[in-house]
Amino acid sequence: MSAHDAEHQRLAWLVDATSGVANGWNHVGAQVKFYSETVTEMRTAFGRYGKEIIRLVAQMSLGTGALAVIGGTVVIVGFLTLSTGAVIAVQGYNQLSGIGVEAMTGFVSAYVNVRIISPAVAGVGLAATIGAGATAQLGAMRIAEEIDALEVMAVRSVAYLVSTRVVAGVIVVIPLYCIAVVCAFQAARFGTTGIYGQSTGVYDHYFRTFLNSTDLLWSFFTVITGAVAVMLVHTYYGYNASGGPAGVGRAVGHSVRTSLIVLTLIVLAISLSVHGQSGHFNLSG
Amino acid sequence: MSANQAGKKPAVISSESVTKPLRSLGEFFAMSLDTFVAMFKLPFPWREFLLQTWFVARVSIVPTLLLAIPFTVLVVFTMNILLVEFGAADFSGTGAATASVTQIGPVVTVLVVAGTGATAMCADLGARAIHDELDALRVLGIDPVRRLAAPRVLAATVVAVSLVSLVTLVGMAGSFFFSVFVQHVTPGAFAGGMTLLTHLPDLILGLVKGALFGMAAALIACYKGISVGGGPQGVGNAVNETVVYSFIALFVINIVATAVYYTGPQ
Repeated sequence: MSAHDAEHQRLAWLVDATSGVANGWNHVGAQVKFYSETVTEMRTAFGRYGKEIIRLVAQMSLGTGALAVIGGTVVIVGFLTLSTGAVIAVQGYNQLSGIGVEAMTGFVSAYVNVRIISPAVAGVGLAATIGAGATAQLGAMRIAEEIDALEVMAVRSVAYLVSTRVVAGVIVVIPLYCIAVVCAFQAARFGTTGIYGQSTGVYDHYFRTFLNSTDLLWSFFTVITGAVAVMLVHTYYGYNASGGPAGVGRAVGHSVRTSLIVLTLIVLAISLSVHGQSGHFNLSG
Repeated sequence: MSANQAGKKPAVISSESVTKPLRSLGEFFAMSLDTFVAMFKLPFPWREFLLQTWFVARVSIVPTLLLAIPFTVLVVFTMNILLVEFGAADFSGTGAATASVTQIGPVVTVLVVAGTGATAMCADLGARAIHDELDALRVLGIDPVRRLAAPRVLAATVVAVSLVSLVTLVGMAGSFFFSVFVQHVTPGAFAGGMTLLTHLPDLILGLVKGALFGMAAALIACYKGISVGGGPQGVGNAVNETVVYSFIALFVINIVATAVYYTGPQ
């Protein structure tokens, strides 16, 4: 018996390592199962909880609590893209004028805003506002045993709480992204023409020449895919929160971290597969 | 609870709803000042500082790498398409260096420090506030700002500066491999072009941005965590607000720092 114990002691690190790997693997499995359940329950969500979806759309676009005071998700995401558009004006104009081609700032705005910055920043804004908000709400419900109460009342909690949130997030992101792109364009244009004094004709000429409507559609597609992934990740962490008030806070932190990584990978994957072969340029003007 | 609140709500807009955001802004700046003063008071809680530095570094390092590599590859890839089209692929090192040092390095660090370090700090402090542990500290004559907030802010600043260097390094290495092995840029041209537009002041700009970002995110996290109220939902909301406010603060700092650097005397 004691020899057996000693054997156990010696192999303890191995047991720990394997259970760690197995836990991580189980975690991935649990997430995949949760996501597929959420997607299949969307039908029920549309059929029975249409009203809940509409309520969530209103809540998500305007925000809740202290976030509503400063204007909600729309203002926050608009503000973030406004500031990145301004960075394009500042850095783009100054660095391009270093090599004497500051006329191309309009081109940089049309190119970089659409392909990288706006999808990434809008996704980050979504994760921070709607996503983290959903995690906090669902986590608090889980801690207060409200989700168990729903199950007891024979309400399908995944359909009612999770699928509706994913659908509402995707509905909200479409007008939200329109605002985000317009903010980014206007900030870059104002910074370049209003502050640095480039003539608006030059700016608009290069901007229009290189603004590609196919790129814009792909950019929309990227953001919608990103929104689905962000909402799924955030609702998973909220729905499975545990460990009291601190646990809810931890769940919000973990979900933000995971969704940022997933979002970057999605933007990268779509960008590589869409623009990977050719640049889709229209250089002749 | 909600019925009670609705019953109490006056018909006219009270001055409360107007002054509350202003008051919390004021409280935030007051606490930030307290924190800065507390940083220079001896004895400084070195133990807490080291523990927090280790903690923030530990939770941030893997997400930093996971975020920095795809982000730089994305930017470098998009830029290289353009350069190849112009026939100037040899300059891809120039673009990669400028992008990683002045923008990607600091901004990725921000996202990670705000998204992981600050949220964990806020959740930790919020849980302590909910369990009245901060009040217990005050009863014992220990100032929570001095004992808990000051070392955290300093720790996040130190870690953010180190992370900027790491992200820049990883970003440069990632873009080198991507440009050379996937997009067939000459390695020598890549290395030679790196210092064409990017010099030491740009590197200092990146590090300063990182320090400011880390400090702002930690200050927001500590303020939100210490002033949390209202049970589990309250902690969740505080963490959510930490993320949103720190992202906003970071983007504002980014534009201000970039504008000051480029428009000031160089």
